[in-house]
Order: sequence, then structure tokens, then C-alpha cells
Amino acid sequence: MLNYNSPIKDSKNYSEIKISEVETTAKINLRGKNRDFITKVGKELSIIPPTDPNTSSGNDSLNILWLSPDEWLIYSNNKIDQKNINDLEDRLYNSISKVKIGSVSNVTDHWVMINLKGAKVYELLSAGCPFNFNKFKNLKGAVTQTLINHTDVIIHNKNNNDLNIFVRRSFSNHLWSWMNDSAKFI
Amino acid sequence: MFLINCPYCGERDQSEFSAGGEAHIVRPKQPTELSDDQWAEFLFMRKNIKGVQFERWNHAHGCRKWFNMIRDTSNDKIHAVYKMGEKPPTK
Repeated sequence: MLNYNSPIKDSKNYSEIKISEVETTAKINLRGKNRDFITKVGKELSIIPPTDPNTSSGNDSLNILWLSPDEWLIYSNNKIDQKNINDLEDRLYNSISKVKIGSVSNVTDHWVMINLKGAKVYELLSAGCPFNFNKFKNLKGAVTQTLINHTDVIIHNKNNNDLNIFVRRSFSNHLWSWMNDSAKFI
Repeated sequence: MFLINCPYCGERDQSEFSAGGEAHIVRPKQPTELSDDQWAEFLFMRKNIKGVQFERWNHAHGCRKWFNMIRDTSNDKIHAVYKMGEKPPTK
């Protein structure tokens, strides 16, 4: 049984940037290719996985991010307890993995979610990221996978100047330190 | 440094990609019937030309998909990018 223990547990405020770790949101990785897979996910979650590259779909409680033509990441908007994460995973597992039309992996402990808010978030990211944010920042719900200071990340444009960044747990402290150092000079 | 147009994600910086060597090398159908030299030729020997080359690339820090690219190695000009399994463009 998973026992989520956050590696950061912190929140920092700088001029026009707020960086905070968001604890215990459910994260589930989905892989599948055929139409049946998309239909089943839509039926279980009432959200259709987006097929357009670099986009997301969602409702009040869950988001589905496009990662590649056959891979998606589901995450919850709000803090969620372990039992509900397991229930969500079981529902998806029974309708997808068990009937062999795709795969479902609970990656709640694998990814750490960091929220960035403020007018200067893109200035902070541009200090260590090769991605061009010009179009991205105006597209609500846009998703990108890229590097920040040589660390792999998934970035979700949740709202205007409000981003969720997913980083692998073992790199999370490194990225957290880099963000805080860089934010002091912006 | 140059930009690569990933066939799945769109235009991204080269640092997000990793090169996978020469493309369109066909695996021998009966490896057991090959001599050691022929097997080594298939396994290790690659062209390394100065000019237009067919290459495999992987969007390692993005969608993690493999694709093919026609690139001029002398000036990094990319002539075409196409998905795995697709035939290279003729022009």
C-alpha cells in the first residue's frame, strides 16, 4: 500500500511569484491506443482523453493531460485521500487493464506537483528552459513536456499565470532549490 | 543548437532530443546464416557522411517517440521529418 510522504512540504513567496508544493493529488498514468480504450476512459471518468497534442481536458475534480499519442496523465485538482486514489485506480484497472485494452499505473508517488503562480512565472521558467512559452502562456489547458534546468518536467497551464509542474520525485528537491534560487533574482 | 519539428509535439529545441543513428537499416531475415563479418557489418558499421543523411531521432524529454529525419550534417539543415514506418519523402 502506498504511503505518500512529500519530499518538499513547503511554500515560498517572492515578488510576483508564489511557489508551493501541492500534496497528495492522485496521479494515474494511462496507456492505450484503440478507440475502445478512449471510450472506456470517457465512460469511467466522464472526461474524454484529448487526442490533440499538447492539450488537456478536465472537469471540477480531474484533469487528463496528453503526454504522447498513446499516453495520458490523470491528476486530481484537490487533495485526495489514499482510499479514493485506490478506488479510482481500481475502477480504471478493472475496465482497462483487466480486459487488456490499455494499461493503468498509479504514479501518485512518482510525480511531485509544484504550483507556480504570479505575473513573473514565465520569466522564472525561461531562465532555465529551452521551451518557447509565447503561445503556451495564452492557451489555457496547454500541456508540455520539457526540461527545466536539465530536469524532465510536465507543465500544465491551468489558468492565466497559474501553472502546475510535475517533476520526478528524486529530482524534486533539486528543481525546488533551483526555482527558489532563481526566483530571488527575477 | 537547432530546432527540430517533432512530428507529434511540434517545434522544440534540440536539447530535448537524442540522436539514434542512421535510419532504414534492415535487420537480416536469417541472422544465423550470416558470417561474422556480415553480422558485424549490420550491427556496427554506419555511414558518417558529410551531407544529407537519413537518421533516427527520439524526443527523449518530450513525448518519447522515435521518428526519422533527413538532415544535412554539414549545416544541420533539416530537410524532412517523418514518423516511424512512413516512407521518406521523395523530394
